[in-house]
Amino acid sequence: MNTINKKLSLGQSLFSEEIRISYKGPVDGKIITFLGDYIYVINELSEKATRKIFKIFFELAENISKYSADKIKLKDGKEVGSGTIILKETVQNFILVTGNPIKNNDLIPVMENSKNINNLGHDELREYKREVRKDNTIKKDSPNIGLIAVALTSGNPLDIEINPIDDETSYFSLAVKVDK
Amino acid sequence: MENIYIEGSHTNFFVPTVEFNAETGVCVLSGESFLEDTIEFYDPLVQWLEEYTSEIKKPMTFEIKLTYFNTSTSRSILDLLNILKEYEDDGGEIIVNWHYDEDDIDMEEDIEDYMLDTGLEINMIPFDEDEF
Repeated sequence: MNTINKKLSLGQSLFSEEIRISYKGPVDGKIITFLGDYIYVINELSEKATRKIFKIFFELAENISKYSADKIKLKDGKEVGSGTIILKETVQNFILVTGNPIKNNDLIPVMENSKNINNLGHDELREYKREVRKDNTIKKDSPNIGLIAVALTSGNPLDIEINPIDDETSYFSLAVKVDK
Repeated sequence: MENIYIEGSHTNFFVPTVEFNAETGVCVLSGESFLEDTIEFYDPLVQWLEEYTSEIKKPMTFEIKLTYFNTSTSRSILDLLNILKEYEDDGGEIIVNWHYDEDDIDMEEDIEDYMLDTGLEINMIPFDEDEF
């Protein structure tokens, strides 16, 4: 089994991990706020972990909604990105995993940014976030700012995996750990 | 100059409550901010502050009580705070109070980062979430 399937696996490691949330489909505001609120009612989460997972979840879910190459048209005419969101619990961590197809053109800057993020310590990341946030040439909803915030909140590296689908598209999977 | 009042909501998106009062100079931004169109929501607030600080020019108190905001919102908050800093540099009287959950270390760091970014003094006021 390749690692992407391991990341998204629902049934391979039930003895060592529990699935707390599993969703696959269109990711619009309604789903994001519903699942976001649901994080607050999961009994197993500590207050600190809940707050962190909530913040990380919103950024990652928004990225699926805006940047997934798999678009779904809803009844109200809006087109939203579709993808997979899983919250797993292991002995030591909670792991939020998202997966969605992404256009290869969008992939290169995300990969470069993620590599950069993973090479920075906490204080350097804060400085990087400030630099990116005040750079008016970067779009306000750029996924790069969101990923910096995700890494800062998590306190762990971004675990990214890419699997090519065809010449134009790849499957993008991101796992983020939050310590218990 | 008109006041702005927007009642916050927690439905398909999270709309913060906005109370900008031109008579008292007290402006409050509270609740949660996760919006369908962040720019569309915050641009009128930016314009209001620009008008107040260039025409009304009275003392201001800016209160932030946001328990959650996404990164799109964080850019708009920076825009608001930059206007307040310019106002202060031009001689305007401004007090900024930021209320945050005492256990929310990430929020605490965010506020510190805004102070570094803007040069604005922000009074950090921790609260106990259970009593908020």
